[in-house]
Amino acid sequence: MILSQVEPLASEAQLLSREIFGNIPPSHKATFYGLATLAMLIFAWGIIRRVRIWRLGQPGLKIDWQQGLNRFCCEVLTQKVLLGRGLPSLAHVLLFSGFVVLFIGTILVAVEHILQDLQGLPNTQPVFHYGIYYAVYEVVLDTFGLAFIAGCLLFAYRRAFEPGNIERKDLDWLVLLTFAVIGVTGYFIEGARIIREATPQPGFSYVGLAFAHLIEWMGIRPDQIDGLHRGLWWFHAFISLSAIAVMPFTRLLHVFAGSLNWLMVPKEMGVLQPISIEEIEETGQMGVARLQDWSWQRLLQLDACVSCGRCEDACPAHLAGKPLSPRDVVQDIKLHAEEVDRVTRRAKFLEKDLDEVLESASSLHVDTIQAETLWSCTTCNACVFVCPLGVNPLGYITDMRRNLIGEAELRGAPAQALQKMQRSGNPWGLPVGDRFEWAEGLDVPTVESNPDFDVLYWVGCAAAYDRRLRKVAQSIVKLLAHAGVSFAVLGEREKCTGESARRMGEEFLFQELAMENVETLNSHNVKKIVTHCPHCLNSFRQDYPQFDGHYEVVHHTAYLQELIEAGKLQVPSDAELQGKVTFHDPCYLARVQGETEAPRELLDSVANSPSARVEMENHSENTLCCGGGGGRMWFDDAPEERTGKARVQEALNTGAEQVAVSCPFCLIMMKDGVAAEGKDEEVKVLDVAEVLVGQTQPDPK
Amino acid sequence: MKILVPTKRVPDTDQKIKVSSDGTGVQTNTLPFIINPFDAIALEEALRIQEGASDEVEVITVGIGNDEYEKELRAGLAMGADRAIHVSTDELLDPWNVSKVLKVIVEKEAPDLVLMGKQAVDDDSNQAGQFLAAQLDWPQATFISKIELADSKANVERETDLGIEKLSLNLPAVITADLRLNEPRYASLPNIMKAKKKPIDSIPLTDLGIEIEPKIEIISVEAPSSIRSCKKVETVDELLTLLRDEAKVL
Repeated sequence: MILSQVEPLASEAQLLSREIFGNIPPSHKATFYGLATLAMLIFAWGIIRRVRIWRLGQPGLKIDWQQGLNRFCCEVLTQKVLLGRGLPSLAHVLLFSGFVVLFIGTILVAVEHILQDLQGLPNTQPVFHYGIYYAVYEVVLDTFGLAFIAGCLLFAYRRAFEPGNIERKDLDWLVLLTFAVIGVTGYFIEGARIIREATPQPGFSYVGLAFAHLIEWMGIRPDQIDGLHRGLWWFHAFISLSAIAVMPFTRLLHVFAGSLNWLMVPKEMGVLQPISIEEIEETGQMGVARLQDWSWQRLLQLDACVSCGRCEDACPAHLAGKPLSPRDVVQDIKLHAEEVDRVTRRAKFLEKDLDEVLESASSLHVDTIQAETLWSCTTCNACVFVCPLGVNPLGYITDMRRNLIGEAELRGAPAQALQKMQRSGNPWGLPVGDRFEWAEGLDVPTVESNPDFDVLYWVGCAAAYDRRLRKVAQSIVKLLAHAGVSFAVLGEREKCTGESARRMGEEFLFQELAMENVETLNSHNVKKIVTHCPHCLNSFRQDYPQFDGHYEVVHHTAYLQELIEAGKLQVPSDAELQGKVTFHDPCYLARVQGETEAPRELLDSVANSPSARVEMENHSENTLCCGGGGGRMWFDDAPEERTGKARVQEALNTGAEQVAVSCPFCLIMMKDGVAAEGKDEEVKVLDVAEVLVGQTQPDPK
Repeated sequence: MKILVPTKRVPDTDQKIKVSSDGTGVQTNTLPFIINPFDAIALEEALRIQEGASDEVEVITVGIGNDEYEKELRAGLAMGADRAIHVSTDELLDPWNVSKVLKVIVEKEAPDLVLMGKQAVDDDSNQAGQFLAAQLDWPQATFISKIELADSKANVERETDLGIEKLSLNLPAVITADLRLNEPRYASLPNIMKAKKKPIDSIPLTDLGIEIEPKIEIISVEAPSSIRSCKKVETVDELLTLLRDEAKVL
């Protein structure tokens, strides 16, 4: 009845707009501003108490804001970082977009209001908030308001019925309820306002209009509208201000910490920062011993974590029942940081010696994070890859591992592997003189016999010494010779790249090996390296440039695929791979280096039918670790405790008779895993190069 | 408390050993050397006793050998020993003479415990510890896989072919370590750097005032035959026949 009085475009004089602070007397407005200030103060306090914790850290990394902004826009604003998870992704996109649009809308109204005030205009005379702009504004905000409420409802549904692995706190319900109430009361106010102001063209505010109808249907009388509108407005205002005030105290802290993290810290996989000997001489310590040893950005990153559990779901060590959860690592360090902050403030207040007081608090090592947890990690980077907030749980682990090494806390087989790397240049401690034995009878060119080589084939310790893996090296040199590539190997002069030593935290052993290798490689003027070990590959690409080793490095699968495409390596037309084959992506090739296509194309080129190649449940960048990375190769695990057990099961589940791999560690782990399941008769584990050589049968040169 | 850990410098166990051209020993010029693994275990145990003790424990390592020994002594200091004593000599001593040298050092340092490897992996004599205990007239426990110190006593577990023997010794005593006693730590750069500042006390063997009396003469050293023929047998009976008739070991 009331609405019927509102005629579309009733008169030209009536501007397509609405009043700001309509129906709100000046005294109420003043109270509102007072409360808003209070809310902002509480908000600021909430942020400051987190900043105080961040400031416990060291002066941080240099920040590239331009790149950061780029990252932020491409990854965060587009929500690319959290897509692909069904309901939770949808819920977040809805809530996020609703929040952002409503926030911008509110800012625009505030700007309009300030301009009105500055020009001394009454609130019925808008500066820009009218006409077409207003119409678009209303449609957009009404739409995203729906997204906002829908996001809340989906999140509530998820929390109640499909909680997944997310950490559950009662406070989260309050946040969702508050948000939903803000959304719904917003529409009620809009509806009441449409009735009260007889807003022209109310159809643009289509949801508000529906609520106006609802108010009418509820039987609210015209004389009650003003009171209802004002009451709702106050309720809405109070809840909104409260929500702003408590944001930094809830999970919503991630909005700020997460954004800052994305802006300041690049999401890097497979990169470790070098330590200098001078640093060690100065501090007498290696890596992170205390929380305060981290940079302030690393401490900020703790606050970005919302404990969603994606990293835990992706962690192969966690899956295998090892005492490691990347989420717990981050959350436990966060709790520890809060304790250190409390203790530090108390010491300052009581004017006590800080170091003495810190002694009585819990320690970072042992009390907060156990050595066993740190050693369980395979550095597969799955946690880094899946984190939508750019948190790097692995970084905390490798920083702390460095300290364990520095404090001589490593024992047993892995410690011996490091000792052997140091003494013999290979983790098995086998004689240097045997390093080139694999090539016996193959006439493999060396840097001495073929000094003008185009590419250097980097064999790696595993393929040089392990009897099974020697077949991989032999297959590769056969293929290279077959394709007429001018290549050479370093023979006995090759040493371990030190990759696993670095991932284990033994930075200086790594540096020693890296510098020796760089010297050897540079003395032979090496420009291009082909390697079949993704760990060596990543080390050459991301570790060695830090020590003056700059080379073009190609994985053997990519190189062989290149050779086939260039017509240099021919696959016979009758090549027919028998049975089904599945490809296991190595973490450092697929996830860290993003290379997933070449090995698949190679397998397809020799497969007898397009359906011969089958995929495992987790593949490509989402591959599941075999358990051999990060130095785990040197830890003695009983078969039932092996990290790669789940991966072996995935491979067996495909029903493939051949499991193709392209990493020496993966080959050993998968082969042993398949054997432990008693399937080594039916299922063969082969390197892609071996599959290829079996089909092309090149003559040994 | 004071623990003395005698160590021996031996060729790296991962390397291929070649007999020297004169046939009286092994080629050492290209070989990397390490602390005898059993001695490293003894040193690790001494360090664990030190870390677990409420009162102060000093760990001293001793090495007998030429000037190149310093590297291995530094490795011991990097693991955590407080100081090292280097008895310098170019002579290769047999176990009896080693024990004589160690006796002088023990009398000088007066340790509460001598912890050493059960044997060195180069000549596998397994005698120095026993000789030393006899010369000092101290209690000894060999092949030890567990040590607990309490009230100037050492309660140990000894690995024998018949099982674990539990012994209680009065200190001071000589204890020799077996493989399962512990897993030695890995010393990394910060430890190695700290070790550079620790003292190594070098004493010429001739200053000890003892007479070296060789008890063992090496007549010749030969590499074991590398030709091995393998035979795969189908049944246990076949194997027994071969062992009895061909190998003549039954």
